[in-house]
Amino acid sequence: MSTIWQSLELLITRGLPMTLLLTLGLLGTGLLLGFPLAFLQVYGYRPVRWLCRGYEQLFRGVPALVLILIFHSGLSRTFDILLPAFASALLALGLRSSAYQSQIFRGAIQSVGEGQMLAARSVGMSKTQAIRHIILPQAFRLSIPPWTNEFSSVLKDTSLASAIGVLELMKQTTLIFTRIQFIHGAQWILVILMLAALIYWALTYLGNVGLSFLESRMRIPGFETKGQVER
Amino acid sequence: MKKASLAILVLTLVAGLWTVAAVGETYKVASDTTWPPFEWSDAEGNLLGFDLDVMRCIGVLQGFEIDISSYDWEIIFDDVGSGRMDIGASGATIRPDREEKVDFSAPYWTSDQAILVRADSELNIITALAGGYTVGAQLETTGAGFITDLIAAGINVTLVEYTLYPLAVLDLINGNIDAVIQDEPASVASATAEEDISVAGVIKTDENFGFFVAEGDPKGLLALINDGVAQLKALGVYDNLIAAYMGTDLVKVEAAWRASIGLLDDGDVVGFASQLATLANE
Amino acid sequence: MDTRQHHNLGDVVLRVEGVHKTYGDNHVLRGVSLQMRRGETKVVIGPSGTGKSTLLRCINQLTVPDQGRVWLGDCEITSRKEDINCARAQIGFVFQSFNLFTHLTALHNVRIAPMKVSRMTKAEATKLAMTELERVGLADKAEAYPAELSGGQQQRVSIARALAMSPKLILFDEPTSALDPELIGEVLEVMVSLAKEGMTMLVVSHEMGFARAVADEIIFMEGGGILEQGPPEQLFRNPEHARTGEFLNKITELYGE
Repeated sequence: MSTIWQSLELLITRGLPMTLLLTLGLLGTGLLLGFPLAFLQVYGYRPVRWLCRGYEQLFRGVPALVLILIFHSGLSRTFDILLPAFASALLALGLRSSAYQSQIFRGAIQSVGEGQMLAARSVGMSKTQAIRHIILPQAFRLSIPPWTNEFSSVLKDTSLASAIGVLELMKQTTLIFTRIQFIHGAQWILVILMLAALIYWALTYLGNVGLSFLESRMRIPGFETKGQVER
Repeated sequence: MKKASLAILVLTLVAGLWTVAAVGETYKVASDTTWPPFEWSDAEGNLLGFDLDVMRCIGVLQGFEIDISSYDWEIIFDDVGSGRMDIGASGATIRPDREEKVDFSAPYWTSDQAILVRADSELNIITALAGGYTVGAQLETTGAGFITDLIAAGINVTLVEYTLYPLAVLDLINGNIDAVIQDEPASVASATAEEDISVAGVIKTDENFGFFVAEGDPKGLLALINDGVAQLKALGVYDNLIAAYMGTDLVKVEAAWRASIGLLDDGDVVGFASQLATLANE
Repeated sequence: MDTRQHHNLGDVVLRVEGVHKTYGDNHVLRGVSLQMRRGETKVVIGPSGTGKSTLLRCINQLTVPDQGRVWLGDCEITSRKEDINCARAQIGFVFQSFNLFTHLTALHNVRIAPMKVSRMTKAEATKLAMTELERVGLADKAEAYPAELSGGQQQRVSIARALAMSPKLILFDEPTSALDPELIGEVLEVMVSLAKEGMTMLVVSHEMGFARAVADEIIFMEGGGILEQGPPEQLFRNPEHARTGEFLNKITELYGE
């Protein structure tokens, strides 16, 4: 029993912080890049839109692990660029998240009813003012639910960083259960894996609760999904 | 959210600077720390084991610090070979295909392979390997290579590969495979820990383990390492480490290590090894 | 029946000349011209698809006409060097589907343009907004969100929103077509009082009761052009074209007087 507590403690103190750091870092990078991308895709000139679309397809179409290995081993072998493991993971998964997030924001912006832009222009707002004061505030609210999904996704993606030596929750789990097999027996492997699963689950749950709270704070009374409420 | 992402950007920049700045004489050591008794992580997260302590002792003698990272076995040769990590200390057998990526030190250990089977099975070493059974091995290990060679030679055996050795053992216990091939010390340790499995036999493969560095040894580390090993042997430290790690109870060794590591931190290589050996064998 | 006041008609506020608009194969507007003086109220009627909405949107350039020119007062707003946002700020527009800003309360809806476009302070804009909300009878709903308001209330807020910019004229694009019958009355009431106060209004609608009460002129459009225009009673009693009479009879039948 004390083994369980000990392992749990180790997972939480050694593995969890890095997982959290990675998750926040990935979401942050994804947000920083993804939002401008979405914006350009909706409002930019055609060649710019093309480029953004290409970027999105590229990073969404390649498996996360492949991306990580490309940034980590691929770059080092071909171009002699040696990134520390954390940086490789952050870049690879961060760029990937930015592609997904750009899709989320693009969808949200486009969901805002066309009438909103028309009304804004009709009272004399410039396009910029309309986007800033009318479109984006609504798009932001619309993007919270899909963004919650992205959070879940990214949290699970962080476990892939273990493949290149980042000591996060998954790697810490393997370090523990490989030892435990020699001391207590192989059946314990399952126990340790369950503990890790429990922690991932708890993180997802807490994240969802937090985002739900944000969503309810931002909710517009009576506003269901998109654009107009006719009667 | 914006603050967090800014912090992360800064962190990434710092991480990037890491590689650029030569931080004195601290060498980055890569090790697949899932392999007692050569390298593993104890219940408190300390990294210990024969390979790691040998490296630590060499560091003290030769005047450098080491920073150990837990690496996945599959990319360890790539990462040391490319120079991202300075030294690999991970129970690696010296093999020609590996020598294409890294440079090895002089052999510091000789190992054999062992075959594990379920205690209640009738298999012996011959039948396990040639009787049409399924044998598990860790990816990229010499054990896996051995089975692959058998298959190529027409022997009737099936190979199942695992990313981690304990997963193979788990499958053996559960009956999904019939045997596991793995270096002898680890096999013996597993058999000791589990009632359900036993060592069917040992194959004398006389594999030599070597520490490894980037191709061409740009930092001139191999000389330091080989010389260090020689010194450890002369001082009796090497034998003490063997006595401490090979064939002993893992939990005892862990406790002994935690009790003795202070000596090594103070620079007392001989004292550390002798106390470790004593306490581990009590 | 004729309760219309003969207020002083002022100088020309709007001039539209030869506006054409084609969508794909569909030549929706075929050279429409009209003119509005200050204080005039005109109602545009016609079969659907005949370009009435398009005409309104071409006036405030929400839709850019393929040909034609529009003057607001002395200023040609169709010319390239004109700041179209500035022009639009002087033309109010009321949409069929209200288009209130869903994330803002009624008060904020009305005051946001004065704040951001006319650059009033928050205090000034709030005071102005409350005045306009009172004018349309919804001061007590200032803190409500559009989704909490009935259709009629939303439309009245949208009128207040247009009024807050002190426009030179207001364009109404079928303002009551999307409303339940019981709610139409409250909106028409506001529109009637606006007309009586001297607001210049160009209204696309089939509410003939409204037209007969306050319109100076009814414009009948068909096939992308103006077929006939004139004071309501003239068109009802003595239309130039048979088609006009037919159409008027039909909508009076369907929608009452």
